[in-house]
Amino acid sequence: MSIAELEAREIALEPGQGGLWRDAWRRLRRNPGALIGFTLVGLFVVVALFASVIAPEDPRFGDLSRLGGSCCPGPSFDHWFGVDQQGRDVLSRIVFGARFSLLIGVVSVAVGLSLGLVLGSIAGYMGGIVDGIIMRLTDIMLSIPGLLLAIGIVAMLGPGLFQIMIAVGATQVPIFARLMRGSILAQRENDFVLAARAIGVPRRSILASHILPNAISPVIVQGTLALATAIIDVAGLGFLGLGPQDPSTPEWGTMLTDTTRYLQTAPHLAIIPGVAIIISVLGFNLIGDGLREALDPKLRGRG
Amino acid sequence: MLRFVVRRLLLLIPVLIGLSILVFLWIRALPGSPATTLLGERATPEAIAAINEQYGLNKPLHVQYFAYVENVAQFDFGDSVTSRRPVIDEFGQRFPATIELAFAAMLFSMLIGLPLGFFAAKRYGGVLDQLSLVASLLGISVPIFVLAIILKFVFAVKLGLLPTVGRISVLINIDHPTNFYVLDALLAGDLEAFWDTLKHLILPAIALGSIPLAIVARITRAAVLDVQNEDYVRTARAKGVAPRTVDTRHILRNAMLPIATIIGLQTGLLLSGAVLTETVFAYPGIGTWLVEAIKARNYPVLQGGILFIALVFVLVNLLVDLSYALLNPRIRLS
Repeated sequence: MSIAELEAREIALEPGQGGLWRDAWRRLRRNPGALIGFTLVGLFVVVALFASVIAPEDPRFGDLSRLGGSCCPGPSFDHWFGVDQQGRDVLSRIVFGARFSLLIGVVSVAVGLSLGLVLGSIAGYMGGIVDGIIMRLTDIMLSIPGLLLAIGIVAMLGPGLFQIMIAVGATQVPIFARLMRGSILAQRENDFVLAARAIGVPRRSILASHILPNAISPVIVQGTLALATAIIDVAGLGFLGLGPQDPSTPEWGTMLTDTTRYLQTAPHLAIIPGVAIIISVLGFNLIGDGLREALDPKLRGRG
Repeated sequence: MLRFVVRRLLLLIPVLIGLSILVFLWIRALPGSPATTLLGERATPEAIAAINEQYGLNKPLHVQYFAYVENVAQFDFGDSVTSRRPVIDEFGQRFPATIELAFAAMLFSMLIGLPLGFFAAKRYGGVLDQLSLVASLLGISVPIFVLAIILKFVFAVKLGLLPTVGRISVLINIDHPTNFYVLDALLAGDLEAFWDTLKHLILPAIALGSIPLAIVARITRAAVLDVQNEDYVRTARAKGVAPRTVDTRHILRNAMLPIATIIGLQTGLLLSGAVLTETVFAYPGIGTWLVEAIKARNYPVLQGGILFIALVFVLVNLLVDLSYALLNPRIRLS
């Protein structure tokens, strides 16, 4: 059933209730999980944007005298989240780390999503040999496990923020391409597409203004969930020592790398960045799930 | 059925050729070269040339590629640059380690995920249902390496119940005919070694199994919710089939279809996760092997290893497609 048909039914059932998006938004606001998600992501974004105001110190500033001969002092009044092995304030590093995670996450998903959408749309709309080539390409990319692919790309391009964004984005391309292709194939045979074709609308504008808007909602859900995956993957690369070039960069995954050595005496060094990653990932996952339920035509009208 | 298998196997050929070219080119695009890694400080132009000659790195790219393919077809993947042992031998040691770990992780996730999802759906909206939703959300939101570090901290460092690293204690000596250490211990009839290898598997398996657990629980719940309102389930109930038989023969059997798909898709995630889990627990599997190989620019290991992993992944997905037919007689593969 197409979204247009559903909309027609919806208008008949609930006059004046608006379209798919207004309806989805209305149900999203009533979903407690999604609300928690928005709160967590809101917190994450605010911390990332105002990092320089919130953080008490420069995240790269270290003072070894704070260690007092042992590694490493835990949470105290002066340092709420304690001090790391180089005498740096963990709270400041976590706060600035939010900025890195958000930036890398958003850019890499944007890279993966835009490339994936273009490839998927072309494959789905053109069909035939183009479709075959693009789908075999995604097969090849999907046959290498995601993190390994990202590791491979970082190894090839060298370490650095930009390289990580490209690497994590690349792992998402085949996923978005397949999703978009499936969505387009489902839309292509619709009556409104046939009608547009019959009155001579050019192929490109059929794709852009008739098919894409109707095929986009699963992509939005996947995009939100992909942000969660991207944050995990970026932290994973950092954890494996393939993070930003400068090891003093406050990146959450990189902060976890050496912590296993201090697990006995300073578990806070592992737990605090871990919790930061979990909170941000949880937020995006909750919103993604909420969106999926809100946009699912089968569930419409229940909220 | 046979035609379907043959067609799927034929479709694998372009994927594998494309993959081998991709991996081959990727490796040549890596900065640094095996010669400089191997020689380090002693890298004189003559020494580099000698190494390049020895490994055939001075020939044109396409010649190198075809030589490589020819060797691969004879199961010769070259020697590891760092250990000088044949790649296939190292693989034979590392691969069982990762399979053992992945299998234990999958077992853990199924043993908990399937019943959790099933009973959550049976008591839709109840306490167990809420619990399963929270558990599956946490499962996909907690990164494997964070969970692994926390598990290691609590059970190995603080409580000292389980070992922190490796596959087997240093003091235990058994033969390794299969390199599946758990199996080896059983073959040797050594119960102490058996228990020791199991203890080494527990924490990594739980860490690695957390994501599949979440996904299996979620999909099982959704699938059972879908199936249990079908007409044939009502019919079965109406004609007085025992509730347990309805659960197993009518609901679970039909719900297995999406579950099987998901389990197949987990293979890639398991292999990705294995890299991180193995790093935390210093577990000598494929994951740590490849990460070390990247750091050492160990071309032969990278080429062989990634090709193997991709092959395994593709074959598992083929098996999943085939299992559809067994699980659902309505699908006649054509």
